[in-house]
Amino acid sequence: MRHTLGIILCAGCAFAQSGIEVPVIGTIVDSSGSLRSVQGVAGSFWWGPPGVSGALSAACSERLCLVKTDTKILSPTGETNAPPGPAIFGVTADDAIVFFPMTHTFARWHDDALDPLDWAVDGEVLSVLRRDGEIEIAVRQDGHVWIVHPDGSMVDSLADATGPVTLLPDGVLFATADEIVVRHPDATEARFQLAGAGSIDAMGPHYAAVHIGGAIYVLRTENGRESLFLLPGTTP
Amino acid sequence: MTRAILLAFLLPLAMQAQIALFTVANGAETPVGAVLNLGKVAAGDTASVRIRVRNIGATTANINYFFVDGVGYSLDRPTLPFPIAPGSVQDTLLSFTQSTVAPLYPANLRIDSDINSISAIVIAAVVVGPVLTVFPACTGSLNPPSVDFGLVQAGQLRLCNFSLQNPGTQDMTISTFKATGAAFQISMGPSAPFTIPAGSAITFVVNFTPGTAAVYTGSLAIETRTYGLRGTAFNTPLPTPLLEFDSGSVQSSQQRRLTMRLPTAATSSASGSVNLAFVPDTTIVTDDPAVVFLATGTRSLPFSITQGSTLISIGGQTSAMFQTGTTSGRIRFTLTGVPIAGDPTTILTIPPSALSIDSAIATQRTGDLDIQVTGFDNTYSAGAMTFTFSDIAGQAIQPGAIRADFTQDFRTFFTQAKGGSAFQVRVSFPVTGDTSGIGSVDVQLTNSAGVKSQHLIFQ
Repeated sequence: MRHTLGIILCAGCAFAQSGIEVPVIGTIVDSSGSLRSVQGVAGSFWWGPPGVSGALSAACSERLCLVKTDTKILSPTGETNAPPGPAIFGVTADDAIVFFPMTHTFARWHDDALDPLDWAVDGEVLSVLRRDGEIEIAVRQDGHVWIVHPDGSMVDSLADATGPVTLLPDGVLFATADEIVVRHPDATEARFQLAGAGSIDAMGPHYAAVHIGGAIYVLRTENGRESLFLLPGTTP
Repeated sequence: MTRAILLAFLLPLAMQAQIALFTVANGAETPVGAVLNLGKVAAGDTASVRIRVRNIGATTANINYFFVDGVGYSLDRPTLPFPIAPGSVQDTLLSFTQSTVAPLYPANLRIDSDINSISAIVIAAVVVGPVLTVFPACTGSLNPPSVDFGLVQAGQLRLCNFSLQNPGTQDMTISTFKATGAAFQISMGPSAPFTIPAGSAITFVVNFTPGTAAVYTGSLAIETRTYGLRGTAFNTPLPTPLLEFDSGSVQSSQQRRLTMRLPTAATSSASGSVNLAFVPDTTIVTDDPAVVFLATGTRSLPFSITQGSTLISIGGQTSAMFQTGTTSGRIRFTLTGVPIAGDPTTILTIPPSALSIDSAIATQRTGDLDIQVTGFDNTYSAGAMTFTFSDIAGQAIQPGAIRADFTQDFRTFFTQAKGGSAFQVRVSFPVTGDTSGIGSVDVQLTNSAGVKSQHLIFQ
């Protein structure tokens, strides 16, 4: 076998021109309801400029960002009407599973269209994710958190999850009474002493935002590189 | 007979009383009788008394005449005519000043309404006043008459020495002699009443003892004169605070903890600001905006100290987190807003380091091999790169190490990004032939501080 290599810097890639750009670790809905990117590298963050306003929820994969306003889902290519209130997204490369807490309904978003799903999941839906082609739903029933498929079959349970739960492509992130736990499929865990988590949102492929009061902690979730930081301008 | 007529004339004319005159002192009303005596007034001084006109009738009284006729007297009142509703009052100010000493200065005070009239005789005596002299370090001024005790450290004592002279040819009796106001007190000198012989003087001392940092005011009353007293107290300079950081070597891209404490307990409460500034080693950028306190995303936080404590609260917390950014240089911490005995400035040096890789990934596309690296270069000298591709067996693929220099691209990026040295670079290699056998790439990224190597497996 013989290969011939030539080199250009970023020719034809999405980053265009210089081929070098400011790194973005993810996006977040700030306290004013604006979608903001968080730029930088682990341990050195700063806020990007405000984007979409009136955002209630947002989620991004490496290729797709969706934003829920009160009545619509916005994407880079358009918008679609949606049930009122916030949404819980399970975003993949080109589509997303969306749960609407106010109507307790699921739908599949694709190409700026919303297809209702007739899944009946009892309890408080906490997170949705498509993992290896399978849909997983984290749901709290009678104070216990289960990870189930849409048909109700159980995948896993989180015995000590008493706070918010977020399913990640490489594991699950949840809050206990006084800790934030990142648990990976290989059963390895990283635990951080942090009490009172109000919500946990995936910011991007490798970071999640943990909201505690007015403070936003940034948690790196990559297996073996887990670390916890504080986002500038958010008072603990 | 003449005296009887005069006394009859002096009776207040309040036959059908609807309006009445009062003097007002400290909020208390005293009816004005036939004679209103302003007492002794030091030559050149002004004596004033508040005159209140009260409508005690059931209908509106229209005031059409209200004057004081006499040398040295004046009346500050609304323009005539003016009404006073039933039960209402109108305050005015009667003043007297004269520079010529005389035992009696009379005047006629008269007010006419459409219902009744009132008259009273006003008298005053002008006497030689005592002359007050204040000695340094206190300073005095005449208009208004006042004494300034200057700046004094809280909790300390400032003494002010005074001389009170009788410049006249007769003995002078001082009946009123007192200091008022928190922190002001006459500590040495005679007690009233006392007499100053003609041509003589007495001395006395006023203490100024402020408890806490503040501006203090008071007064010194000597007979008809009142002198304003003023002093400003500042907190005791703090012993030089100790600025300390959590353990571990300081590097770029860290979130560190700052704590501050005093070596000895604070003698007074104080508050100020702790500030940070950043000076980069490189000349390519002038700052790294990511170097901030995390609580606010700014470079200044308030701090406070409680008297008797060594703990310093920063923004209401026991410590403050900050980011070190992605630029080598010096983070300079300073304190402002409080007097400090020494220089608390503390420098935290961020050393230059080899390029740091936060994440890296190698991927294959049809006709291209992509390598994406996210990291930072705190020396701002990145650009030299070497890529060595290997097959699945780990054998290097010809032509071996491929060198590239993107220094100018990085420099352009750094000068435009304005967010420190964090970057995400993507390098694409067009490739011909079957790429399925390409397994990995070794990447070497070089900056002025060293070489960083990363082995990436193609995904």
